[in-house]
Parts: sequence; C-alpha cells; structure tokens
Amino acid sequence: MAEGSPKQVTFKVQRYDPEDGSAPHFQEFTVPSSRGMTVLDGLLYIKENLDGTLAFRTSCRMGICGSCGMLINNYPHLACHTQIEEFNSNTLTIKSLPNMPIIKDLVADLTPMFDNHKLVKPYIIRQDTEETENPTAEFGQLPQELNAFLQFTYCIKCGICVSACPTSASDKLFLGPQALAQCYRYCADSRDDGQQERFSVVDADHGVWRCHLAGACSEACPKGLDPALAIQLLKRRLATQALGLRKKQPPSSVVSPPTETKPKVPFPEFTVKGGK
Amino acid sequence: MKQIRPRQNYLGAGGWVWAGNYKLERYLYILHRVTGLGMLFFVIFHLIETTFFRIQGQDVWEATMALLQNPWFEVGIYLVAVAFVYHALNGLRLILQEFGFFLGKPTPPIYPYKDALRKKRPWTLAMVAVIVILALVFLLNFII
Amino acid sequence: MWRTRLHLLHMLTGILIAVLLGIHMVIQHLDAVLRFFGATTTDPTSWGSMIARASQGIWVALYIALLAFLLYHALYGLRGVILEVTTSVKLERIITWSFIIIGIIVFIWGAYVPVVLLSS
Repeated sequence: MAEGSPKQVTFKVQRYDPEDGSAPHFQEFTVPSSRGMTVLDGLLYIKENLDGTLAFRTSCRMGICGSCGMLINNYPHLACHTQIEEFNSNTLTIKSLPNMPIIKDLVADLTPMFDNHKLVKPYIIRQDTEETENPTAEFGQLPQELNAFLQFTYCIKCGICVSACPTSASDKLFLGPQALAQCYRYCADSRDDGQQERFSVVDADHGVWRCHLAGACSEACPKGLDPALAIQLLKRRLATQALGLRKKQPPSSVVSPPTETKPKVPFPEFTVKGGK
Repeated sequence: MKQIRPRQNYLGAGGWVWAGNYKLERYLYILHRVTGLGMLFFVIFHLIETTFFRIQGQDVWEATMALLQNPWFEVGIYLVAVAFVYHALNGLRLILQEFGFFLGKPTPPIYPYKDALRKKRPWTLAMVAVIVILALVFLLNFII
Repeated sequence: MWRTRLHLLHMLTGILIAVLLGIHMVIQHLDAVLRFFGATTTDPTSWGSMIARASQGIWVALYIALLAFLLYHALYGLRGVILEVTTSVKLERIITWSFIIIGIIVFIWGAYVPVVLLSS
C-alpha cells in the first residue's frame, strides 16, 4: 500500500532532568510521520533512533491502560490514542500532564491522584461483613441498576481529567474529578451500603462543593466517562440527604444459585439424511 | 539511591482562565467568577454610598449624584448591570445542572463520546442568546 | 452535612437575589425603556424619588432582605474562591470567622440606615 513519502514533523518535547535542578526546557526532534502514526509511535521513534534518554510511560499502546497521558498541543490526550495527522500541523508540542508533579521529562507523578482515590474508599462496603469476607453466593443486581453507574466504571486512572480541571489547577487539596466520580460509582452501586462513610469524605472544605461545573473533565476524558455528570449526581445525593428527602434503600441481597437446572432439550433431527 | 523530589507543576489560578482549547462551559465558569467578584467590588462602594452619604441629607446626596454623572461611571454601572444579568441567568443554569436535573441518565460510552453537558449545549447557547438580548435592552436604556 | 446545607443556602439566596435585585435593576436602570413604553416614572436616582421609596415599608423590607441574602451569597462565594488558593487550615478558619463577623456588622449597619430613614 503506497503511503506516499513520510512527512517530517517537528516534535517539541519538554525535557526535565531532576538530577540537574534546571527548569524544564524544550528539545526539538524531527520525526518522519506517515498516515496512521500515533504520537506514541513518534515518541518511540525518538527514543529508538534520536535520543534514548527521553522518558515517558507507555504500556498497552491501545488506550486502555492509562499510562501515556500527556499535554499535546495544549490539550491533554492519551499519546497512543492520538494520531499525528489529526493536528494538521508540522509542529507538535508535548508536555507532561499539568497539575501533577513531574518526575522526569514526560513522566508525571500520579501518586497524589491515587491517594485521593483511596480517600474516597473505592470498594464495596456492606454491613454483612461475614458475607463479603466469605461469600456463599452472588449479590443480585438488575440490568437497570447496573446501567445507573456502568458508565463510570470505565475509568482507566489516566489523570487527564485532573489535568483539565480548573479547581485542581490551584487547589492542591481538592479531591479531583477522578476520585469524586469514583465515589459516585460506588455510592450508586446497588450492592453498596457505605454511602454515609463516603459522604463524610466528600462533604469537606476541599471536596465536592469546590466543583463548579466547568465540564473540562468530561470533555477531555479519553474513555467517554463523563465525570462531570457523576459529580453532579453525587451533589444531588448529598443535597437530598441534607434536606432529609433521601429514602434509605437496602443494598442488594444475596441471590442463591438456582437449584433446578433447566429441562434437557432433545437433540435436534439431522438435517442431512442418510449416513449414521 | 538518591531520592528524587518531583517538581511541582500546578497551573495555579492562571489555570482558571486558560489551560488549553476547552469548550464553552469552562469559559462560562470563569466569567461567572469574574462577574461575581466584580459585583462584590461594586457593592462595597454602593453600600457606602447608600448608607454614609444618604444619611447625611439631601445636599450630600445630590452632590454624590452629580459626581456620578461622569461617563466613565455610566459605563461602569452598565457593566455591573450586564454582570448581574449574566451571573443570574448562568447561576440559574448552574443550579439546575449542578443537581443533575436536565442532564440525562448515565449511558454506556459509545464512540464518539458525547458527555451530558455537550448534549445540552443547545440550551446553554439559548441562555447565552437571552443574556445578549437583555444586555442590549440595558444598553438601550443608557442611550435613550 | 453542614457544608452541604451552606451550599444549598447559597443557591437559595441566589434565586432570591435574582428576583429582588432584578426588581431593583428594572426600576434603577430600565426607567428610560419603561417610559418609552408609557409607564410614568421619575428619575430613580433623584432625591425625591429616593425619599418616596424610603418612606414605604415594602421597599425598606425589600432592601433589607436583599442586603441579608446578598451578604450571605457574596461572602460564601468569596470564601470558596479563597479556599481554592490556600492550603493552610488555620488561614481558612480565620477567613471563615472574619467573614461571619464582617457580614453581621455590615448587615446591622446596612439595615439600620433605611429603618432610621423610614421612621424620620
């Protein structure tokens, strides 16, 4: 398949050496890019052929692991998910994700985001600890109950929403759209009973009420998660609770496995007659 | 092995205003903040005017009013009126959307992703149109 | 839960201010447009018009209510903006308490003046 001669694209990559102590600066590389090449392919070309000291995270190269979040032309993208051609430009400026500390070059420190995620207790909490520790059967959940939070389960923890959020830009103690959306994902799960514990975490000075619906998190999310919707639905839960309008719903109960098996279906007739 | 201290990389309060090529709702947010703080700044002077100056009698009041006939103050008052219109209407939109009303239900993400705010953007644009119309009505008042 | 209740009060006062301040804006800044459509209004910033409003209980009540809602809404909003730039818990507590005190003082002074003018 003839692709034509590859276009020479300039990659302006942010470099930062922690042992050097100097401020981050840009270094330019020229990468031959052809149709279908992603920014990650370009960075790997640089690392293999031009400068082996360039540091960046990459793993699955297909947009599911969340490692390669970067600021490309002033907008946070997953490098593996972004085509060089989609920018229609001969220069790409690549920086590390903002609002997160830089470890080296394009590697951002995601630990503050993970710490905020843990604060929100992102696991099923129930009163019947005996059942959760030693399960006997499954918890029943209707498809409608699943759909109420399914969209928010696709989070790959890439940190792009935290980079986009204006509150996260200035407030170091803000929980961040990722943690708040995951808090809603667990509160809305019908199997969960830990809403009150999580409310005391998010109903704080730097919690959910510092979100002002700028919507940048949902806009930038590479998996279509819509954390903004999750956070507003979480606010609705907090408000109905504060006004005393919340009806307490018990969590999903255990559904014992079926004891009867379905009756055996007779073997269908052979369509080709003759033979055995 | 030497412990590396990661370098802070926050955008700071400048990140409220510009952090990349985001869409409408992010700029509605920063304008909401700017109009709120602007009106607060005006209200301080307005409270001084309507308490300290008003209670001293007619002469002081009319002298203050004469001082405020200056065209720069007229422009300022017009900006405060427009700021109120914007802040009130955008605030009503935020009250509705912050509690998840009219944002629709969570749907499984199918590419190309359309988040809830983007789906409701026609209504947001209608709100902006109403704000512009009211701003023109207030401008008419200053011209007539 | 008290932070949620404060935020709900912020939204409620927002709606009430939109109504009361809307009335104030219409009479103060749309008087020429209203006159164009036939309403008989005098210049709202003139002394006579101002004294006429100050001697009617309904206007005084409107202004005092507006002041109360406005002070709560503005100071809670400003506190939110300041909380987003500081990380020191001690400073946040100082800011919260000083806003409460400033709000009460300004409200008492701001409500005292129209009541004095009403009774004079």
